[in-house]
Amino acid sequence: MTELKKKEKIGTPDTADRQSGAVMVVGGGIAGIQSSLDLADSGFKVYLLERTPAIGGTMAQLDKTFPTNDCAMCVISPKLVGSGRHLNIDLITNAELMGIEGDAGNFTVKVKRHPRYVDSEKCTGCGACVQNCPVSRIIYAVELDEVELERKDLDIVMPLLEDSAGTRGSLMPVLQAIDRHYGYLPKDVIRFISGKLDVSISEIYNIATFYNSFSLVPKGRHRISICMGTTCYVKGAEKIMQKLCRDLGTEPGGTTEDLRFSVEAARCIGCCSLAPAIMVNDRVYGRVKLSDLSGILKEYE
Amino acid sequence: MIGSYTRLLDGLQETGLSSLYPDRFRISVGMATCGLATGAMGVFQRLKEELDRTGFDAVLSRTGCLGFCQREPVVDLYVPGGPRLTYVEMTPEKAAGFIDVLSRGGIPVEDLLCVHQSETLLGDTVREYGTKGMDQLSGVPLYTEVPFFSKQSKIALRNCGIIDPVSIEEYVARSGYRALHDVLLEKTPEELIREVKESGLRGRGGGGFPTGLKWEYTRRTEADERYIVCNADEGDPGAYMDRSVLEGDPHSVIEGMILGGFAMGASTGFVYVRTEYPLAIQRMEEAIAQAGKNGFLGDDIFGSGFSFDIEIRQGSGAFVCGEETSLMHSIEGVSPEPRNRPPFPSESGLWEKPTNINNVETWANIPAIIQKGSGWFSSIGTGKSKGTKVFSLVGTVRNTGLVEVPMGITLREIIFDIGGGIPEDREFKAVQTGGPSGGCIPASLLDLPVDYERLAEAGSIMGSGGMVVMDQSSCVVDIARYFLEFTNDESCGKCTSCRDGSELMLEILTRITRGNGKSEDIDFLEELGVAITDASQCGLGQTLANPVLSTIRYFREEYEAHIERAVCPAHACKALVTYRVDAGRCTGCTLCARNCPSGAVRGKLKEAHTIDQGNCTKCGLCFDVCNFNAIVVE
Ligand SMILES: Cc1cc2nc3c(=O)[nH]c(=O)nc-3n(C[C@H](O)[C@H](O)[C@H](O)COP(=O)(O)O)c2cc1C
Ligand code: FES
Repeated sequence: MTELKKKEKIGTPDTADRQSGAVMVVGGGIAGIQSSLDLADSGFKVYLLERTPAIGGTMAQLDKTFPTNDCAMCVISPKLVGSGRHLNIDLITNAELMGIEGDAGNFTVKVKRHPRYVDSEKCTGCGACVQNCPVSRIIYAVELDEVELERKDLDIVMPLLEDSAGTRGSLMPVLQAIDRHYGYLPKDVIRFISGKLDVSISEIYNIATFYNSFSLVPKGRHRISICMGTTCYVKGAEKIMQKLCRDLGTEPGGTTEDLRFSVEAARCIGCCSLAPAIMVNDRVYGRVKLSDLSGILKEYE
Repeated sequence: MIGSYTRLLDGLQETGLSSLYPDRFRISVGMATCGLATGAMGVFQRLKEELDRTGFDAVLSRTGCLGFCQREPVVDLYVPGGPRLTYVEMTPEKAAGFIDVLSRGGIPVEDLLCVHQSETLLGDTVREYGTKGMDQLSGVPLYTEVPFFSKQSKIALRNCGIIDPVSIEEYVARSGYRALHDVLLEKTPEELIREVKESGLRGRGGGGFPTGLKWEYTRRTEADERYIVCNADEGDPGAYMDRSVLEGDPHSVIEGMILGGFAMGASTGFVYVRTEYPLAIQRMEEAIAQAGKNGFLGDDIFGSGFSFDIEIRQGSGAFVCGEETSLMHSIEGVSPEPRNRPPFPSESGLWEKPTNINNVETWANIPAIIQKGSGWFSSIGTGKSKGTKVFSLVGTVRNTGLVEVPMGITLREIIFDIGGGIPEDREFKAVQTGGPSGGCIPASLLDLPVDYERLAEAGSIMGSGGMVVMDQSSCVVDIARYFLEFTNDESCGKCTSCRDGSELMLEILTRITRGNGKSEDIDFLEELGVAITDASQCGLGQTLANPVLSTIRYFREEYEAHIERAVCPAHACKALVTYRVDAGRCTGCTLCARNCPSGAVRGKLKEAHTIDQGNCTKCGLCFDVCNFNAIVVE
């Protein structure tokens, strides 16, 4: 995890007696926002610190406020916009106060700003990334930065890294080798190579989820790819998929409980003349009939 | 010095010739993926066992794919002093009989497809076969008389199915690496580029950009380093010629790349192969090692001072990585999204150096062009499309396989003469070319000459050469929906027009195939298609509307049938068909009831069954398993 330690200097430390014209407000709820606005309007420079990624606090989540039954959003939203646009207010969100030194009128505070993984200058808050995130199940940002691999994993991973040392663009070959070895990309190994190759985890996940053949969860011992290319589709590949999934009790993209088979749809395995085709591990079967399937499965334990 | 390299090639050639045409019988088994998928490995092993057992003196070897994939496994027999014979549809059992006949002094005639009386290479006869054994073979058609082969002329596939793919000697025996030798010692890079330009060769990967021009741009850009790339990501579903070339004749691609490297002043070449092709990767690795061992790769090739090496990189299953800028990102190991061009790769490509990307088939054409001259190449084909193109003729057609034909041949010749027409004499409906970027061409355009321009005018593209033939049982709306599902899934999501446009198109098409289409849908699809084409950055988005636009153009009434009457004329759209049991035919065998995943088929043993429409998911399994044609689709 990248940690951004930022020292916000408020006032000038060398002139201890001179009072500073800046105020730090800690907590970006309605109270903090209102105080910031009042202070900023009266000419102070305000640093509004908030632990969560956005200001607004609880009030932004309420429907009505007591006792007047005013609409909460109607009250708070002009203030949210106001504090965002106010020239005298600096919003420091997703950050925590680590320490305060100094005396009244002249404090120095230490703020830890958490990484956002998004360029906040460019973000318009459209939310499309949240909807489309392929790895939303995997939240790494809050975990430890360093990982230790077990001996047996090191024995596998280190030679791979050494082999690729010096080749340009080594990330892909390394990921492919790991995927081949483990059958998927184990979390810890990814975090480990992220450090070794000096590529951020988010970048690795971007790449790992871009390609169809990488998996982030363990796969079965045998990978069955059912071709869903045009020719195979025209020749009834869907039925093969249905039957196979039913026989194995799994679904496309799934793995059987005993980790014997994974079933996935492939894009064309280059055996179109013999459609419909399926591939088990590296072996291709052409002109597959529904009645052939159980025989093929028996070849793999 | 120069003489020593000629001697090296002569030496290899001699070894190659004696292994291609030994003084004993030579049996070679087609062992590319298509052969292996139909059991060539079993055939090979059985042949080996039988040879060992009988002690019959013959050479057993493996080769690539001859192209006639429909009738794999294919086995070739060379009779010493006699012809070469091609057998089809072998099985291990037949293999035993095969050796039995041979060991008793005969020549097997069962499953014999054709006789080769001579061997040709790029239009020239390079060997006349003897007549030994011909008396036993009367009535067997000649190679040139088999309809599947007679209209083909092979350039890119010149060695596939003839040589052992990983025998550099046999490649040299078929004039391989001669072009490289002559160019490196006698020509300048500029002369080489001029030759390629004059040949009129255009990229076979889809775009059809003149190859020589691209080379010239790359050479012209000032740089301390340049790269060349062989695009073997073959993503178009339904096309597999690149795989076949890599598996059947990897040296032709390597030689093409070395020539390209010399022409453009590059010292490293990358071959980017998709991971779905493990055998192609393996053959390529072996071939590169052999070329290196013989000094055709590495430092100071043929003492010319030119050094070149090839590295293999694997894709990992993302269609968009076939697009050149995306492919370069993938090699660099960064997020493989395409980027805007310009700058073109020839100006700034891999690691910001000038880079030239060509397709496998394009590279395989290069040595042939150099060997026979640009004039010879440009005499084949039509006005702006020169040479030959390999098509994968697949789908509902009698003879499926890889066919290499001169540009300008008509679709009818390909599908009906070479392909033998539609099986069971059903009616031809359309042929899909160009994969997800292409379109469907209807029966009325069967006489269209196939070249880059004509196909584009018809609303499709040449693409990488997939030709999926469809009969009346395929629904074009469903095919359009299928391709949109594909492109929607493969869109990298960078351009809104492509990401959301494909989503919207898919939604509408899905609605139509479910019988819920609205009357304004067709017009809206057309409008949307044009907008997506205009607004997208890379070829994926710019062409994803083609399958929809071309099917609306030629099959509008089929869309209307779905929308206005909720009828699928082809009976292919699940939601619009019903499955029924024909009580007169049903024997009550219970097979369908046992196979029905949703328990919708009811009935007792030996009594006619019925289908409960409420539970039926229309998966069609009952239709497939029924042995008595008792399931009716309406
Ligand atoms: C979405 C998309 C996918 C592509 N896929 C391939 C492919 O699989 N193989 C290929 O050779 N070219 C593919 N191309 C074309 C390449 O971008 C590039 O034009 C080609 O490799 C250039 O080689 P050529 O001049 O020899 O045709 C694709 C293009 C796009 C836009
Ligand atoms: S479409 Fe299935 S193998 Fe090509």
